[in-house]
Amino acid sequence: MPQLKARTISKQSIRIHAGNMLFLLPTILLFTVVVLIPFFQGIPYSFTNWKSIISTNRAFNGLNNYRYLLTNKFFLQSIGTTFKFTFLYCLSGNLVGLGLALLIHRSSWFNNIARTVFFLPFTVSVTAGAIVWSYVYTDVYSKLTGLVSPLGMPGQVVYGMVVIAAWRDLGYTMLIYIAALQTISKDYYEAATVDGASVLRQFTHITLPLIVPAFTTNITLLLAWGLRTFDLPMAVARNVQEGQFTAVYIYDSIFSNAKAGLGQASAIILTVILIVLTQFVTRFLRGLEVES
Amino acid sequence: MKTQTMAVPGPAGQLRIKPRRTLGKGLRIVLTLAVMLIVVLPFYVAIVYSFRSPGTVTANRLAWPDQPTLQNYIDVIFQNKGFLTGYKNSIINTVPTVILLMFITSMSAWVLARFQTKFYVFLYSVLTIGLLVPFQCFQLPLYLNWYNLGLVSTNVGFIIARAGLQISISLVAVTGFIKTVPRELEEAASIDGCNRFQIFWKVVFPLMTPINITQVVLNTLFIWNDYTTSIILLRDKASHTLTLAQIIYFNENTAMLNQAFAFFVLSMLPILILYLGLQKYIVSGITAGAVKG
Repeated sequence: MPQLKARTISKQSIRIHAGNMLFLLPTILLFTVVVLIPFFQGIPYSFTNWKSIISTNRAFNGLNNYRYLLTNKFFLQSIGTTFKFTFLYCLSGNLVGLGLALLIHRSSWFNNIARTVFFLPFTVSVTAGAIVWSYVYTDVYSKLTGLVSPLGMPGQVVYGMVVIAAWRDLGYTMLIYIAALQTISKDYYEAATVDGASVLRQFTHITLPLIVPAFTTNITLLLAWGLRTFDLPMAVARNVQEGQFTAVYIYDSIFSNAKAGLGQASAIILTVILIVLTQFVTRFLRGLEVES
Repeated sequence: MKTQTMAVPGPAGQLRIKPRRTLGKGLRIVLTLAVMLIVVLPFYVAIVYSFRSPGTVTANRLAWPDQPTLQNYIDVIFQNKGFLTGYKNSIINTVPTVILLMFITSMSAWVLARFQTKFYVFLYSVLTIGLLVPFQCFQLPLYLNWYNLGLVSTNVGFIIARAGLQISISLVAVTGFIKTVPRELEEAASIDGCNRFQIFWKVVFPLMTPINITQVVLNTLFIWNDYTTSIILLRDKASHTLTLAQIIYFNENTAMLNQAFAFFVLSMLPILILYLGLQKYIVSGITAGAVKG
Protein backbone atom coordinates (compact mmCIF):
# COMPACT_ATOMS: atom_id res chain seq x y z
CA MET A 1 0.00 0.00 0.00
CA PRO A 2 2.30 2.76 -1.23
CA GLN A 3 -0.25 5.51 -0.66
CA LEU A 4 -0.70 4.72 2.99
CA LYS A 5 3.02 4.52 3.50
CA ALA A 6 3.52 7.98 2.00
CA ARG A 7 0.85 9.35 4.28
CA THR A 8 2.37 7.94 7.44
CA ILE A 9 5.78 9.32 6.48
CA SER A 10 4.40 12.78 5.94
CA LYS A 11 2.50 12.53 9.20
CA GLN A 12 5.74 11.58 10.89
CA SER A 13 7.60 14.42 9.24
CA ILE A 14 4.91 16.88 10.39
CA ARG A 15 5.42 15.57 13.90
CA ILE A 16 9.17 16.08 13.61
CA HIS A 17 8.85 19.61 12.28
CA ALA A 18 6.28 20.50 14.91
CA GLY A 19 8.66 19.19 17.57
CA ASN A 20 11.44 21.27 16.02
CA MET A 21 9.29 24.37 16.21
CA LEU A 22 8.79 23.81 19.94
CA PHE A 23 12.56 23.77 20.38
CA LEU A 24 12.98 26.85 18.21
CA LEU A 25 10.02 28.85 19.47
CA PRO A 26 11.57 30.65 22.48
CA THR A 27 14.56 31.76 20.40
CA ILE A 28 12.47 32.87 17.42
CA LEU A 29 10.01 34.72 19.65
CA LEU A 30 12.69 36.59 21.56
CA PHE A 31 14.67 37.44 18.44
CA THR A 32 11.57 38.66 16.62
CA VAL A 33 10.48 40.93 19.46
CA VAL A 34 13.91 42.36 20.24
CA VAL A 35 15.60 42.52 16.84
CA LEU A 36 13.40 41.79 13.81
CA ILE A 37 10.33 43.89 14.57
CA PRO A 38 12.30 46.98 15.68
CA PHE A 39 14.56 46.57 12.63
CA PHE A 40 11.62 46.77 10.21
CA GLN A 41 9.89 49.48 12.26
CA GLY A 42 12.99 51.63 12.02
CA ILE A 43 13.28 51.77 8.24
CA PRO A 44 10.17 53.95 7.60
CA TYR A 45 11.19 56.34 10.41
CA SER A 46 14.22 57.29 8.34
CA PHE A 47 11.94 58.74 5.64
CA THR A 48 10.16 61.12 8.02
CA ASN A 49 10.77 64.57 9.48
CA TRP A 50 10.31 63.20 13.00
CA LYS A 51 11.85 65.53 15.53
CA SER A 52 11.48 64.75 19.24
CA ILE A 53 10.69 61.15 20.16
CA ILE A 54 8.34 62.43 22.86
CA SER A 55 5.92 63.66 20.18
CA THR A 56 4.21 61.41 17.65
CA ASN A 57 4.27 64.17 15.04
CA ARG A 58 5.97 62.90 11.95
CA ALA A 59 5.37 63.25 8.23
CA PHE A 60 6.86 61.43 5.28
CA ASN A 61 9.57 63.53 3.68
CA GLY A 62 11.04 61.12 1.16
CA LEU A 63 14.80 61.04 0.84
CA ASN A 64 15.29 64.44 2.46
CA ASN A 65 17.13 63.04 5.50
CA TYR A 66 19.53 61.07 3.32
CA ARG A 67 20.10 64.06 1.03
CA TYR A 68 20.75 66.28 4.04
CA LEU A 69 23.16 63.80 5.65
CA LEU A 70 25.26 63.31 2.54
CA THR A 71 26.11 67.02 2.56
CA ASN A 72 26.15 67.54 6.33
CA LYS A 73 29.56 68.48 7.64
CA PHE A 74 29.18 66.86 11.08
CA PHE A 75 27.78 63.58 9.79
CA LEU A 76 30.48 63.24 7.14
CA GLN A 77 33.12 64.14 9.70
CA SER A 78 31.79 61.41 12.01
CA ILE A 79 31.99 58.90 9.14
CA GLY A 80 35.56 59.99 8.43
CA THR A 81 36.50 59.68 12.11
CA THR A 82 34.89 56.25 12.33
CA PHE A 83 36.74 55.02 9.24
CA LYS A 84 40.07 56.39 10.43
CA PHE A 85 39.59 54.83 13.86
CA THR A 86 38.43 51.48 12.46
CA PHE A 87 41.32 51.22 10.01
CA LEU A 88 43.99 51.99 12.62
CA TYR A 89 42.31 49.84 15.27
CA CYS A 90 41.98 46.89 12.90
CA LEU A 91 45.60 47.28 11.81
CA SER A 92 47.13 47.69 15.26
CA GLY A 93 44.86 45.17 16.97
CA ASN A 94 45.86 42.54 14.42
CA LEU A 95 49.57 43.37 14.21
CA VAL A 96 50.03 43.36 17.97
CA GLY A 97 47.86 40.26 18.38
CA LEU A 98 49.81 38.39 15.70
CA GLY A 99 53.13 39.57 17.09
CA LEU A 100 52.25 38.34 20.57
CA ALA A 101 50.93 35.06 19.20
CA LEU A 102 54.22 34.46 17.40
CA LEU A 103 56.09 35.24 20.62
CA ILE A 104 54.15 32.95 22.93
CA HIS A 105 52.25 30.34 20.88
CA ARG A 106 54.28 27.46 22.31
CA SER A 107 53.02 26.13 25.61
CA SER A 108 55.11 26.77 28.71
CA TRP A 109 54.29 28.06 32.16
CA PHE A 110 55.69 31.49 31.30
CA ASN A 111 53.74 31.71 28.04
CA ASN A 112 50.56 30.61 29.79
CA ILE A 113 50.91 33.40 32.35
CA ALA A 114 51.62 35.88 29.56
CA ARG A 115 48.42 34.79 27.75
CA THR A 116 46.39 35.27 30.93
CA VAL A 117 47.81 38.78 31.33
CA PHE A 118 47.30 39.78 27.69
CA PHE A 119 43.64 38.81 27.79
CA LEU A 120 43.04 40.65 31.07
CA PRO A 121 42.00 44.00 29.49
CA PHE A 122 39.21 42.27 27.59
CA THR A 123 37.46 41.45 30.87
CA VAL A 124 37.10 45.13 31.77
CA SER A 125 34.22 47.18 30.34
CA VAL A 126 35.27 49.49 27.50
CA THR A 127 34.01 52.54 29.33
CA ALA A 128 35.82 51.83 32.61
CA GLY A 129 39.01 50.81 30.80
CA ALA A 130 38.92 54.00 28.75
CA ILE A 131 38.45 56.19 31.82
CA VAL A 132 41.42 54.56 33.53
CA TRP A 133 43.43 55.11 30.36
CA SER A 134 42.63 58.83 30.44
CA TYR A 135 44.58 58.87 33.74
CA VAL A 136 47.36 56.75 32.28
CA TYR A 137 47.69 59.43 29.60
CA THR A 138 47.82 62.33 32.04
CA ASP A 139 49.84 60.64 34.79
CA VAL A 140 52.26 58.47 32.85
CA TYR A 141 52.37 59.52 29.20
CA SER A 142 52.36 63.26 29.86
CA LYS A 143 54.92 62.91 32.65
CA LEU A 144 57.31 60.86 30.55
CA THR A 145 57.01 62.83 27.31
CA GLY A 146 55.97 66.27 28.53
CA LEU A 147 53.13 66.17 25.96
CA VAL A 148 49.44 66.76 26.58
CA SER A 149 47.14 63.72 26.73
CA PRO A 150 46.01 62.82 23.18
CA LEU A 151 42.42 62.65 24.41
CA GLY A 152 42.48 66.40 24.99
CA MET A 153 43.90 67.26 21.55
CA PRO A 154 41.48 67.47 18.60
CA GLY A 155 44.14 66.24 16.20
CA GLN A 156 45.13 63.23 18.30
CA VAL A 157 41.98 62.09 20.02
CA VAL A 158 41.41 59.29 17.50
CA TYR A 159 44.93 57.93 18.04
CA GLY A 160 44.39 58.09 21.78
CA MET A 161 41.27 55.94 21.38
CA VAL A 162 42.95 53.53 18.96
CA VAL A 163 45.53 52.74 21.63
CA ILE A 164 42.79 52.05 24.20
CA ALA A 165 40.78 49.85 21.82
CA ALA A 166 43.86 47.90 20.69
CA TRP A 167 44.93 47.47 24.34
CA ARG A 168 41.56 45.98 25.20
CA ASP A 169 41.26 43.60 22.26
CA LEU A 170 44.83 42.46 21.56
CA GLY A 171 44.31 39.43 23.80
CA TYR A 172 41.30 38.40 21.76
CA THR A 173 43.04 38.49 18.37
CA MET A 174 46.10 36.90 19.96
CA LEU A 175 44.09 33.86 21.12
CA ILE A 176 42.70 33.32 17.62
CA TYR A 177 46.18 33.63 16.06
CA ILE A 178 47.65 31.25 18.63
CA ALA A 179 44.96 28.67 17.85
CA ALA A 180 45.77 29.01 14.15
CA LEU A 181 49.53 28.75 14.66
CA GLN A 182 49.08 25.60 16.75
CA THR A 183 47.33 23.82 13.88
CA ILE A 184 50.36 24.13 11.59
CA SER A 185 52.27 20.87 11.47
CA LYS A 186 55.96 21.08 12.44
CA ASP A 187 56.74 18.86 9.45
CA TYR A 188 56.36 21.82 7.08
CA TYR A 189 59.08 23.77 8.88
CA GLU A 190 61.36 20.75 9.12
CA ALA A 191 61.03 20.07 5.41
CA ALA A 192 61.62 23.74 4.61
CA THR A 193 64.70 23.82 6.84
CA VAL A 194 66.09 20.77 5.05
CA ASP A 195 65.51 22.54 1.75
CA GLY A 196 67.47 25.52 3.12
CA ALA A 197 64.61 28.03 3.30
CA SER A 198 65.37 31.04 5.48
CA VAL A 199 63.26 31.87 8.53
CA LEU A 200 61.72 34.85 6.79
CA ARG A 201 60.89 32.72 3.76
CA GLN A 202 59.33 30.08 5.99
CA PHE A 203 57.22 32.76 7.63
CA THR A 204 55.96 34.24 4.37
CA HIS A 205 55.56 30.91 2.55
CA ILE A 206 54.32 28.58 5.31
CA THR A 207 53.05 30.49 8.34
CA LEU A 208 51.21 33.37 6.66
CA PRO A 209 49.30 31.34 4.02
CA LEU A 210 48.21 28.79 6.62
CA ILE A 211 46.84 31.33 9.09
CA VAL A 212 44.75 33.27 6.56
CA PRO A 213 41.53 31.92 8.16
CA ALA A 214 42.60 33.59 11.42
CA PHE A 215 43.17 36.84 9.49
CA THR A 216 39.67 36.51 8.04
CA THR A 217 38.13 36.06 11.51
CA ASN A 218 40.13 38.81 13.20
CA ILE A 219 39.97 41.42 10.46
CA THR A 220 36.23 40.96 9.89
CA LEU A 221 35.61 41.03 13.64
CA LEU A 222 37.61 44.18 14.36
CA LEU A 223 36.16 45.86 11.28
CA ALA A 224 32.61 45.24 12.51
CA TRP A 225 33.45 46.21 16.09
CA GLY A 226 35.31 49.32 14.98
CA LEU A 227 32.53 50.67 12.76
CA ARG A 228 29.90 50.35 15.50
CA THR A 229 32.09 51.69 18.33
CA PHE A 230 29.98 53.77 20.68
CA ASP A 231 31.07 53.29 24.29
CA LEU A 232 34.68 54.43 23.83
CA PRO A 233 34.00 57.99 22.58
CA MET A 234 31.06 58.26 25.01
CA ALA A 235 33.47 57.63 27.88
CA VAL A 236 36.46 59.76 26.94
CA ALA A 237 35.78 61.98 23.92
CA ARG A 238 32.35 63.40 24.64
CA ASN A 239 33.51 67.01 24.42
CA VAL A 240 35.81 66.78 21.41
CA GLN A 241 34.07 67.22 18.06
CA GLU A 242 36.91 65.40 16.26
CA GLY A 243 36.28 62.36 18.43
CA GLN A 244 32.60 61.89 17.57
CA PHE A 245 31.88 58.57 15.87
CA THR A 246 28.84 57.87 13.70
CA ALA A 247 27.28 55.76 16.46
CA VAL A 248 27.52 58.80 18.77
CA TYR A 249 26.09 61.07 16.08
CA ILE A 250 23.11 58.70 15.79
CA TYR A 251 22.59 58.60 19.56
CA ASP A 252 22.79 62.38 19.88
CA SER A 253 20.42 62.98 16.97
CA ILE A 254 17.77 60.66 18.36
CA PHE A 255 18.04 61.07 22.12
CA SER A 256 19.59 64.52 22.68
CA ASN A 257 19.02 66.75 19.66
CA ALA A 258 15.39 65.87 18.78
CA LYS A 259 16.18 64.78 15.24
CA ALA A 260 14.82 61.24 15.38
CA GLY A 261 14.12 60.83 11.65
CA LEU A 262 17.57 62.10 10.77
CA GLY A 263 19.23 59.90 13.39
CA GLN A 264 17.40 56.86 12.08
CA ALA A 265 18.53 57.65 8.52
CA SER A 266 22.14 57.95 9.66
CA ALA A 267 21.77 54.59 11.44
CA ILE A 268 20.58 53.01 8.19
CA ILE A 269 23.55 54.48 6.33
CA LEU A 270 25.95 53.09 8.97
CA THR A 271 24.28 49.67 8.72
CA VAL A 272 24.61 49.60 4.92
CA ILE A 273 28.27 50.63 5.12
CA LEU A 274 28.96 47.98 7.76
CA ILE A 275 27.28 45.15 5.85
CA VAL A 276 28.80 46.03 2.48
CA LEU A 277 32.30 46.53 3.88
CA THR A 278 32.40 43.40 6.04
CA GLN A 279 30.94 41.23 3.26
CA PHE A 280 33.47 42.62 0.79
CA VAL A 281 36.43 42.12 3.12
CA THR A 282 35.30 38.61 4.12
CA ARG A 283 34.89 37.52 0.49
CA PHE A 284 38.30 38.94 -0.38
CA LEU A 285 40.05 37.20 2.53
CA ARG A 286 38.21 33.90 1.94
CA GLY A 287 39.63 33.97 -1.59
CA LEU A 288 43.13 34.00 -0.13
CA GLU A 289 42.59 30.94 2.06
CA VAL A 290 44.39 27.75 1.05
CA GLU A 291 43.66 24.14 1.85
CA SER A 292 46.26 22.85 4.24
CA MET B 1 67.49 37.54 14.77
CA LYS B 2 69.32 34.37 15.40
CA THR B 3 68.82 31.30 13.32
CA GLN B 4 69.91 27.95 14.59
CA THR B 5 69.81 24.80 12.60
CA MET B 6 71.13 21.93 14.57
CA ALA B 7 71.67 18.51 13.20
CA VAL B 8 71.42 15.92 15.94
CA PRO B 9 71.49 12.16 15.59
CA GLY B 10 68.01 10.70 15.64
CA PRO B 11 66.99 7.44 17.30
CA ALA B 12 67.63 5.30 14.24
CA GLY B 13 71.02 6.87 13.72
CA GLN B 14 69.97 9.12 10.84
CA LEU B 15 70.22 12.89 11.08
CA ARG B 16 67.17 14.73 12.38
CA ILE B 17 66.71 18.44 11.96
CA LYS B 18 65.81 20.15 15.19
CA PRO B 19 63.18 22.92 14.77
CA ARG B 20 64.89 26.28 14.43
CA ARG B 21 64.45 29.19 16.78
CA THR B 22 63.40 32.44 15.15
CA LEU B 23 64.33 34.61 18.08
CA GLY B 24 66.64 33.85 20.94
CA LYS B 25 64.73 32.61 23.97
CA GLY B 26 66.00 35.45 26.14
CA LEU B 27 64.91 38.08 23.65
CA ARG B 28 61.44 36.51 23.44
CA ILE B 29 61.03 36.68 27.20
CA VAL B 30 62.25 40.28 27.42
CA LEU B 31 59.88 41.36 24.65
CA THR B 32 56.95 39.52 26.22
CA LEU B 33 57.66 41.05 29.62
CA ALA B 34 57.86 44.53 28.10
CA VAL B 35 54.41 44.18 26.50
CA MET B 36 53.02 42.67 29.71
CA LEU B 37 54.21 45.75 31.55
CA ILE B 38 52.32 48.09 29.21
CA VAL B 39 49.21 45.91 29.33
CA VAL B 40 49.02 45.90 33.15
CA LEU B 41 49.97 49.58 33.53
CA PRO B 42 46.32 50.83 33.64
CA PHE B 43 45.48 48.22 36.30
CA TYR B 44 48.48 49.35 38.33
CA VAL B 45 47.44 53.00 38.06
CA ALA B 46 43.89 52.14 39.19
CA ILE B 47 45.09 50.10 42.16
CA VAL B 48 47.61 52.72 43.30
CA TYR B 49 44.92 55.41 43.25
CA SER B 50 42.42 53.22 45.08
CA PHE B 51 44.78 52.57 48.02
CA ARG B 52 45.75 56.20 48.54
CA SER B 53 44.11 58.00 51.48
CA PRO B 54 40.94 59.81 50.38
CA GLY B 55 41.52 63.15 48.75
CA THR B 56 45.30 63.03 48.61
CA VAL B 57 47.02 64.03 45.43
CA THR B 58 50.74 63.47 45.47
CA ALA B 59 53.43 64.78 43.21
CA ASN B 60 54.51 61.36 42.12
CA ARG B 61 51.21 59.81 41.18
CA LEU B 62 52.65 56.47 40.18
CA ALA B 63 54.45 55.75 43.42
CA TRP B 64 52.97 53.16 45.75
CA PRO B 65 51.30 55.10 48.62
CA ASP B 66 53.34 55.40 51.84
CA GLN B 67 50.36 54.42 53.93
CA PRO B 68 48.05 52.30 51.81
CA THR B 69 44.49 52.42 53.10
CA LEU B 70 41.23 50.58 52.56
CA GLN B 71 39.26 53.73 53.40
CA ASN B 72 38.24 54.33 49.76
CA TYR B 73 36.80 50.85 49.52
CA ILE B 74 34.92 51.24 52.79
CA ASP B 75 33.54 54.61 51.68
CA VAL B 76 32.40 53.25 48.33
CA ILE B 77 30.71 50.19 49.81
CA PHE B 78 28.99 51.88 52.75
CA GLN B 79 28.35 55.43 51.61
CA ASN B 80 27.87 55.30 47.87
CA LYS B 81 24.26 54.54 46.95
CA GLY B 82 25.07 54.20 43.26
CA PHE B 83 27.52 51.43 44.02
CA LEU B 84 25.18 49.07 45.86
CA THR B 85 22.28 49.78 43.50
CA GLY B 86 24.63 49.23 40.57
CA TYR B 87 25.87 45.95 41.98
CA LYS B 88 22.35 44.73 42.66
CA ASN B 89 21.18 45.68 39.15
CA SER B 90 24.22 44.21 37.44
CA ILE B 91 23.67 40.87 39.15
CA ILE B 92 19.89 40.83 38.62
CA ASN B 93 20.35 41.78 34.96
CA THR B 94 23.19 39.42 34.17
CA VAL B 95 22.42 36.12 35.90
CA PRO B 96 18.90 35.44 34.50
CA THR B 97 19.97 36.61 31.03
CA VAL B 98 22.85 34.14 30.72
CA ILE B 99 20.76 31.27 32.11
CA LEU B 100 17.88 32.05 29.76
CA LEU B 101 20.32 32.21 26.85
CA MET B 102 21.89 28.90 27.80
CA PHE B 103 18.54 27.08 27.63
CA ILE B 104 17.01 28.68 24.57
CA THR B 105 20.12 28.69 22.40
CA SER B 106 21.06 25.11 23.22
CA MET B 107 17.53 23.97 22.29
CA SER B 108 17.38 25.90 19.02
CA ALA B 109 21.00 25.21 18.09
CA TRP B 110 20.37 21.46 18.36
CA VAL B 111 17.59 21.63 15.76
CA LEU B 112 19.54 24.03 13.53
CA ALA B 113 22.63 21.81 13.63
CA ARG B 114 20.77 18.56 12.92
CA PHE B 115 18.40 19.74 10.17
CA GLN B 116 20.04 21.15 7.07
CA THR B 117 17.06 21.61 4.76
CA LYS B 118 16.45 24.97 3.09
CA PHE B 119 13.99 26.16 5.71
CA TYR B 120 16.35 25.59 8.63
CA VAL B 121 19.34 27.07 6.80
CA PHE B 122 17.25 30.16 6.07
CA LEU B 123 16.11 30.36 9.69
CA TYR B 124 19.72 30.12 10.85
CA SER B 125 20.79 32.97 8.61
CA VAL B 126 17.91 35.14 9.86
CA LEU B 127 18.68 34.42 13.52
CA THR B 128 22.36 35.27 13.05
CA ILE B 129 21.68 38.57 11.25
CA GLY B 130 22.42 40.28 14.56
CA LEU B 131 26.11 39.79 13.80
CA LEU B 132 25.85 42.21 10.91
CA VAL B 133 23.20 44.73 11.90
CA PRO B 134 24.49 47.22 14.48
CA PHE B 135 22.34 47.97 17.53
CA GLN B 136 22.17 51.63 16.44
CA CYS B 137 19.90 50.57 13.57
CA PHE B 138 17.02 49.51 15.79
CA GLN B 139 17.70 51.11 19.17
CA LEU B 140 15.03 53.79 18.65
CA PRO B 141 12.11 51.45 17.79
CA LEU B 142 13.21 49.04 20.52
CA TYR B 143 13.28 51.88 23.04
CA LEU B 144 9.80 53.09 21.96
CA ASN B 145 8.28 49.59 22.13
CA TRP B 146 9.82 49.04 25.55
CA TYR B 147 8.60 52.45 26.67
CA ASN B 148 5.04 51.65 25.55
CA LEU B 149 5.18 48.31 27.33
CA GLY B 150 6.49 49.93 30.51
CA LEU B 151 9.74 47.98 30.25
CA VAL B 152 12.21 50.86 30.15
CA SER B 153 14.35 51.10 33.31
CA THR B 154 13.20 47.69 34.53
CA ASN B 155 15.26 44.57 35.14
CA VAL B 156 12.78 42.39 33.23
CA GLY B 157 12.90 44.73 30.23
CA PHE B 158 16.67 44.69 30.20
CA ILE B 159 16.87 40.90 30.56
CA ILE B 160 14.51 40.28 27.63
CA ALA B 161 16.26 42.81 25.39
CA ARG B 162 19.80 41.78 26.25
CA ALA B 163 19.04 38.09 25.80
CA GLY B 164 17.47 38.79 22.38
CA LEU B 165 20.50 40.82 21.34
CA GLN B 166 22.91 38.06 22.36
CA ILE B 167 21.11 35.26 20.46
CA SER B 168 22.99 35.62 17.16
CA ILE B 169 26.42 35.39 18.72
CA SER B 170 25.57 32.50 21.02
CA LEU B 171 23.79 30.56 18.30
CA VAL B 172 26.83 30.56 15.99
CA ALA B 173 29.05 29.11 18.70
CA VAL B 174 26.59 26.53 20.03
CA THR B 175 25.47 25.30 16.60
CA GLY B 176 29.11 24.93 15.59
CA PHE B 177 29.71 22.83 18.70
CA ILE B 178 26.74 20.49 18.19
CA LYS B 179 27.87 19.73 14.65
CA THR B 180 31.00 18.16 16.17
CA VAL B 181 28.95 15.89 18.49
CA PRO B 182 28.24 12.50 16.88
CA ARG B 183 24.58 11.55 16.35
CA GLU B 184 25.00 7.91 17.39
CA LEU B 185 23.99 8.47 21.01
CA GLU B 186 20.82 10.24 19.94
CA GLU B 187 19.98 7.41 17.54
CA ALA B 188 20.60 4.82 20.24
CA ALA B 189 18.32 6.69 22.64
CA SER B 190 15.67 6.89 19.95
CA ILE B 191 15.82 3.13 19.38
CA ASP B 192 15.48 2.67 23.15
CA GLY B 193 12.15 4.46 22.85
CA CYS B 194 13.01 7.95 24.11
CA ASN B 195 10.98 10.78 22.61
CA ARG B 196 12.71 13.87 21.31
CA PHE B 197 12.38 15.83 24.53
CA GLN B 198 13.89 12.98 26.51
CA ILE B 199 16.66 12.65 23.92
CA PHE B 200 17.48 16.32 24.21
CA TRP B 201 17.37 16.70 27.99
CA LYS B 202 18.87 13.31 28.88
CA VAL B 203 21.41 12.83 26.11
CA VAL B 204 22.19 16.00 24.15
CA PHE B 205 22.03 18.67 26.85
CA PRO B 206 24.51 16.90 29.16
CA LEU B 207 26.88 16.45 26.22
CA MET B 208 26.75 20.21 25.66
CA THR B 209 28.11 21.06 29.11
CA PRO B 210 31.49 22.40 27.86
CA ILE B 211 29.94 24.79 25.33
CA ASN B 212 27.24 25.80 27.82
CA ILE B 213 29.83 26.74 30.44
CA THR B 214 31.74 28.66 27.76
CA GLN B 215 28.59 30.51 26.73
CA VAL B 216 27.66 31.32 30.31
CA VAL B 217 31.12 32.74 31.02
CA LEU B 218 31.43 34.74 27.79
CA ASN B 219 27.88 36.07 27.95
CA THR B 220 28.41 37.08 31.57
CA LEU B 221 31.47 39.01 30.47
CA PHE B 222 29.61 40.82 27.68
CA ILE B 223 26.43 41.54 29.63
CA TRP B 224 28.14 42.61 32.87
CA ASN B 225 30.23 45.08 30.86
CA ASP B 226 27.40 46.23 28.58
CA TYR B 227 27.11 49.94 28.01
CA THR B 228 25.50 50.41 24.59
CA THR B 229 22.19 48.70 25.43
CA SER B 230 22.12 49.85 29.05
CA ILE B 231 22.33 53.55 28.27
CA ILE B 232 19.28 53.28 26.00
CA LEU B 233 17.08 51.04 28.13
CA LEU B 234 18.08 51.97 31.70
CA ARG B 235 17.14 55.64 32.00
CA ASP B 236 16.36 56.00 35.73
CA LYS B 237 19.25 56.21 38.13
CA ALA B 238 17.64 53.48 40.24
CA SER B 239 17.95 51.05 37.32
CA HIS B 240 21.61 51.81 36.54
CA THR B 241 24.10 48.98 36.37
CA LEU B 242 27.72 49.23 37.53
CA THR B 243 28.92 50.21 34.05
CA LEU B 244 26.60 53.22 33.95
CA ALA B 245 27.09 54.14 37.62
CA GLN B 246 30.85 54.11 37.16
CA ILE B 247 30.90 56.66 34.35
CA ILE B 248 28.66 59.01 36.30
CA TYR B 249 30.78 58.54 39.40
CA PHE B 250 34.00 59.35 37.56
CA ASN B 251 32.48 62.42 35.92
CA GLU B 252 30.88 63.78 39.08
CA ASN B 253 33.63 63.03 41.56
CA THR B 254 36.87 64.29 40.09
CA ALA B 255 37.71 65.58 43.57
CA MET B 256 37.34 62.10 45.05
CA LEU B 257 39.26 60.29 42.39
CA ASN B 258 40.71 57.73 44.77
CA GLN B 259 37.23 56.50 45.61
CA ALA B 260 36.28 56.39 41.95
CA PHE B 261 39.19 54.03 41.36
CA ALA B 262 38.14 51.87 44.30
CA PHE B 263 34.73 51.74 42.59
CA PHE B 264 36.43 50.60 39.39
CA VAL B 265 38.41 47.85 41.12
CA LEU B 266 35.33 46.56 42.96
CA SER B 267 33.27 46.55 39.74
CA MET B 268 35.69 44.39 37.81
CA LEU B 269 36.37 42.01 40.71
CA PRO B 270 33.60 39.43 40.01
CA ILE B 271 34.51 39.22 36.34
CA LEU B 272 38.19 38.97 37.20
CA ILE B 273 37.54 36.05 39.54
CA LEU B 274 35.33 34.39 36.94
CA TYR B 275 38.01 34.88 34.28
CA LEU B 276 40.88 33.54 36.36
CA GLY B 277 38.80 30.56 37.51
CA LEU B 278 37.25 29.59 34.19
CA GLN B 279 39.88 30.85 31.79
CA LYS B 280 40.09 27.70 29.71
CA TYR B 281 36.39 27.96 28.82
CA ILE B 282 36.84 31.53 27.62
CA VAL B 283 39.82 30.53 25.51
CA SER B 284 38.00 27.57 23.96
CA GLY B 285 34.92 29.70 23.28
CA ILE B 286 36.85 32.40 21.49
CA THR B 287 39.08 30.14 19.48
CA ALA B 288 36.07 28.11 18.36
CA GLY B 289 35.13 31.19 16.40
CA ALA B 290 32.77 32.80 18.86
CA VAL B 291 32.13 36.46 18.33
CA LYS B 292 31.70 39.38 20.67
CA GLY B 293 28.35 41.11 21.25
